[in-house]
Amino acid sequence: MKATLTIAKREFRSYFDSPLAYVVICLSLLVLGVWVFLGPGRFWQVDRASLSAMFQAIPAGLVLLVVPVVTMRLIAEEKRSGTLEMLITLPVKDSEVILGKYLGALGLVLVLVASTALYPIVMFKWPWHLGRIDMGPVMASYLGLVLFSAAAVAVGMLISSLTESQVIAFFVTFIVLAGLYWIGDLGELVSDVAGTVLRSLSFKEHFSSFERGLIDTTDVLFFASVAALSLMFAFRALESRKWA
Amino acid sequence: MSTDVMIYASDLTKRYGSFRALDRINFEVRRGEVVGFLGPNGAGKSTTMRILTCFISPTAGTAKVHGHDVFDEPLEVRKKVGYLPQRAPLYHDMSVWEYLRFTAEMRGLDEGTFKQRMRKIVEICGLAQVLGKDIGQLSHGYRQRVGLGQALVHDPPILILDEPTADLDPNEKAEVIRYIKEIGTERTVLLSTHNLSEVEAACARAIIVSKGRIVADGPLDEIRAKTGKVQYVITISEKEALSGHTPPSAQEAQKALRELAGVANVALATTEEKGTRTFELAADKDRDIRADLFRLAVAKGWNLLELRRDAQTLEDVFRDLTKADEVNDRRLGGKAAEAPTKAAAGMES
Repeated sequence: MKATLTIAKREFRSYFDSPLAYVVICLSLLVLGVWVFLGPGRFWQVDRASLSAMFQAIPAGLVLLVVPVVTMRLIAEEKRSGTLEMLITLPVKDSEVILGKYLGALGLVLVLVASTALYPIVMFKWPWHLGRIDMGPVMASYLGLVLFSAAAVAVGMLISSLTESQVIAFFVTFIVLAGLYWIGDLGELVSDVAGTVLRSLSFKEHFSSFERGLIDTTDVLFFASVAALSLMFAFRALESRKWA
Repeated sequence: MSTDVMIYASDLTKRYGSFRALDRINFEVRRGEVVGFLGPNGAGKSTTMRILTCFISPTAGTAKVHGHDVFDEPLEVRKKVGYLPQRAPLYHDMSVWEYLRFTAEMRGLDEGTFKQRMRKIVEICGLAQVLGKDIGQLSHGYRQRVGLGQALVHDPPILILDEPTADLDPNEKAEVIRYIKEIGTERTVLLSTHNLSEVEAACARAIIVSKGRIVADGPLDEIRAKTGKVQYVITISEKEALSGHTPPSAQEAQKALRELAGVANVALATTEEKGTRTFELAADKDRDIRADLFRLAVAKGWNLLELRRDAQTLEDVFRDLTKADEVNDRRLGGKAAEAPTKAAAGMES
């Protein structure tokens, strides 16, 4: 357990040792702000004290940019540079390596997610008071985002553990996560059964109830299972080096 | 297996598809031994070391480090081993101090022990000037030193070093070798290298691998003596001879030498000295033919100027034992040559 935390700490800090963390956080906040507050038909035009425009935008931003960028190097870069050998030959279990790196990357994503709370605070608490916002959906949305991030980062981690190239890891993660996010929209086009199946796999569908203020165990379990399963496969992928 | 055996490998085999990277390797390394692990690139040195540090698993066979099986107790094995992989792969975004502290933390050292160890490591590896620098900014030589430092951080009883002196300048090399020798008195060191003079400087014993097999294993003297052929150098005058004889022509002398029992090959060497002829003879290692050479010279009336036996250098032995690898690399479509195990067959037992 101590080794896991040591790895997580190192991983987390290394994001901040390079410009990566700062660029990702600043850029994401900027794009999110422009999208939500300047985009037509969003925050100002709904005539309600609601942040649903923001909570619809954040998950899309996570899958399209943040998670692929943050997870692409996790294992792939260590494999390419050979540092994986150094890391694994320390007295540490493979599972601890996977878990530690995962927690480090998830930590950064959660810092970013938490930093978006800046917008509701600025709009509804201080300096502006644009009305009384219903805190229920906001809290539920943040819980949803934590779970959403946990699942997405795990998927990115798995993909990073399958290749030695950050670039490949980035694009594959990008495509897989975008697919998992919008797969439900595809469900509208096909028959009932297939549509239900597709919707039940969709990150977007499972997140939508959080955004409305609803915490459904099905959704919680969905994200938790995706995370657990991806981590397990990532562990297997890492272990497979032994038998190559 | 006695408790003194620190590294034990039995029938260790590693296959990548149909390629045998290691083919039933057997060896033991005892406490207080510094063993040089030699072989051409791709012979299986790194593969063996990766198995011993539990980075990869063998296809067959067993290995034990400090009495722990690499398959069943990898964490115990890794606790006892300080390992420096080839080319010292390190996190370039960390400073030297941060990196070493990370390693220490991973190994469960507390802050006090770590600082105490650091004093020694800085001294040994010469890191005082670079502790605060990012590893990415260091030269290869310094990275190698940091790599060595991380292997020593927990004061391990066993050190496995994959080419620890690659990328070091001659002074650094000498320093590292001196240190390896020093720690080798109470610890166990397995180091791989291409540099044979380092082996001669630091190790009492060498294991030579070629194409995944051990072709020689033993004390350096034994390896030098037992392998290949012994060389003799004989120089005679081309102008003068003993009274009643005429100086021999090169062909005559060469023919006479070749007819001598035990001589395998005679070559006329180029020489700077005028009026002399020097021949190099390769002869069986089992007999000493210096006396025969002297008697031949007397019988033929040659004016003998010099006669000596050259012990084979480790380099010759190394080349001799592993040349099949090289031959195959330079021949397109040739059938894989048999490993030159003949000479070493007796030594493996």
